[in-house]
Amino acid sequence: MNFKKSIFVLLFVVILVLGIFSGMVMAEEKIIKIGTLFPLTGSCALAGQRCKSAVETAIEVINNIHTECKVPLANQSSVLDGYKFVLVSADHQGKPDVGKTEAERLFNQEKVYAIIGCYNSAVTKPASFVAERQKKLFMCGCSSSAALTERDFKYFFRMAPTDKTESIEFCEVLTWLNETKNAGIKTIGIIYENTEFGKHAADEGKLAAEAAGFEVTADVAFAPGATNLNSEVQTLKAKNPDAVFGACLGGDYTLWVRTMKQMNWLPKIALNYCTGYQDPVIAQQLGDDANYFMGGTGYAPEFAELMPAVAAVEEIYKVKTDPSVPFDSDSIQEAVAMFVLAQAIEKAGTLDYDKVRDVLYANEWDSPLSMGGKVAFVLGGQNSKAMSMMTQLQGGGYKRVFPVELATNEIIFPMVPWDKR
Amino acid sequence: MNFFSSLLPNFQQLVDGFYFERRFLTTMFFQVAIDGLLTGMLYGLVASGLSLIWGVMDVINFAHGEFLMVAMYVSYWLGFLMHVDPIVSWIASGAFCFLLGVLTYKLIIRHCLSGPPLSALLATFGLAMILKNVCLNRFSPNFRLLTGTLLDGKKIMLGNLILPLPQLVTAIFALVVVFIVYYIIKRTRLGWAIQATAMDKEAAELMGIKTDWIFAFVFGLGGACVGIAGGLLPSYLAVHPEVGGLFSLIAFIAVAMGGFGSIPGALLAALFIGLIEAFGGFYIAPVFKYVVVFGLYIVVVMFKPKGLFGW
Repeated sequence: MNFKKSIFVLLFVVILVLGIFSGMVMAEEKIIKIGTLFPLTGSCALAGQRCKSAVETAIEVINNIHTECKVPLANQSSVLDGYKFVLVSADHQGKPDVGKTEAERLFNQEKVYAIIGCYNSAVTKPASFVAERQKKLFMCGCSSSAALTERDFKYFFRMAPTDKTESIEFCEVLTWLNETKNAGIKTIGIIYENTEFGKHAADEGKLAAEAAGFEVTADVAFAPGATNLNSEVQTLKAKNPDAVFGACLGGDYTLWVRTMKQMNWLPKIALNYCTGYQDPVIAQQLGDDANYFMGGTGYAPEFAELMPAVAAVEEIYKVKTDPSVPFDSDSIQEAVAMFVLAQAIEKAGTLDYDKVRDVLYANEWDSPLSMGGKVAFVLGGQNSKAMSMMTQLQGGGYKRVFPVELATNEIIFPMVPWDKR
Repeated sequence: MNFFSSLLPNFQQLVDGFYFERRFLTTMFFQVAIDGLLTGMLYGLVASGLSLIWGVMDVINFAHGEFLMVAMYVSYWLGFLMHVDPIVSWIASGAFCFLLGVLTYKLIIRHCLSGPPLSALLATFGLAMILKNVCLNRFSPNFRLLTGTLLDGKKIMLGNLILPLPQLVTAIFALVVVFIVYYIIKRTRLGWAIQATAMDKEAAELMGIKTDWIFAFVFGLGGACVGIAGGLLPSYLAVHPEVGGLFSLIAFIAVAMGGFGSIPGALLAALFIGLIEAFGGFYIAPVFKYVVVFGLYIVVVMFKPKGLFGW
């Protein structure tokens, strides 16, 4: 009995000592936890998982020496003399309430230093509010609602162009087509999901159209994840606008395209925001039906000659995605967010939130993964150097079509009717 | 005179424009009606299985939408890997969901029936979570589309009216399958045994009916109905783990509106829902199409709590 008791006491002491020792080791470990908050399940899960993989890729490059990658911090294996980044990922399922709760959990329980996310503008809004309240950093890659950077938040930074920028670009394309090809585009229809993202995109689209002298004749909102989009396409068909601006994510984009095919209707030109259009897998699955649609694109493999540094990083990214895919416009912005944050921490020489924030605002950051090559923030956190280019899917590839000086292909206008493909 | 003659062509244009507009609006009206009916028949096929299970067993199958999703995956993978067209693979997905239904009953529901009514409902809810997450884990959240199917993009033109062939074939299948199920229930000895079991389980057992077998068969048949619908859907709808959610919600409303347990009621309610959804979406606003459907459901249950044809 005594023997058993002494063994028990001995074991208890060993466990206690080991526990304290390991705690000391952990306390000495130099790590910076970064939270990612993306839709890993739900209707946007595919895009969310790719965004998470993009941040993982950036961390892989920053935490290890990757001389083959011509991006900042690739030639060193840590920041701040030995700090490594560790990723803690969370899933918001595309739901704003879940996003807010998960942001609180990441900051309060997981003790992450900053959050990168959230893909869906509707989730980014409440989640970034949590960060702002706690005076912690929120890096937003690709959420495109212009409203996010019009809140005068001090700790919020966004890499991608906004819906506002894209809407203006869309109207520039239409005006150029009218002037150079006598396209006769006068009316615009807008189809969008009834969410924060969709509604803001539509609002910006209407403002830009009005400013450019176009008339918006069809305003079609729909519930995301609908069983069909028959009424939506019938409404567009009845109004028959010359051009359509689309803000349909993921599966809704495929349903929209296929329903238009069934209804045997197409506008003269269809321009898409940051949506299913930009997803190369969806484009591949739609096959020939995906062709001749257009959209603003921040990156596509066809941009390789404009952004040569992407290739080496993309090889790492491809290993982390299943199925293996190249970067797309959205996921690459999340990698940019991570690279910019790491550069700012390194330059600030501290993890103090206010100092890192001030450094983020005060500098122009090298960003070979961004189309403009630079990232700089204006008050509110918008990247003033954010750029995208108009592409058109031709033969299954995203061809650069506008602005003309950077174009590789001519715009095929009007879109080729369904029965002639 | 010159003034009136100069007006004449404009007047003629106005008349032509008026008739063109009227023809166009009439065409759109019938097109919307066709879309609504075709959608409604699909909802009817999904709802009939749910109605059958509720009618006989008083069990609400919360995993019904996930059965649909699984059936779509069966059809998709058969198409993708073995080039079997959905027009054929519905047999496999129907059979698969029949087995899934039988197994669900044998492994889960049977053990819940002796407990409080809520336990079976919650068990199916748990099953729904399992099925969804298994598919999410195995197949990823990718949207998967079958292209180049026999019916892909094909349509029948009736003047200016378009009848999309994939939806039309699904609708015909829906009518045939619902009719067969209804015939089995009403006109065969098996159906009489099912009805007897639904009315009084103990009395049916005393008459020599193997109620446990009947329950398993009914759960399987309900699964087969939704399995057939799911088998045909990949010819025009992308497959992903969340695809069953809204279908099952609408199926629940069709069953409740039609009257729990009434298969013709579920079909008629589903047709009604399809039409309301289409007309509401087109003439009010697309964003309100489901609002109109759910609003109408509330109105119906306010005045007929047991649904339009409930027993």
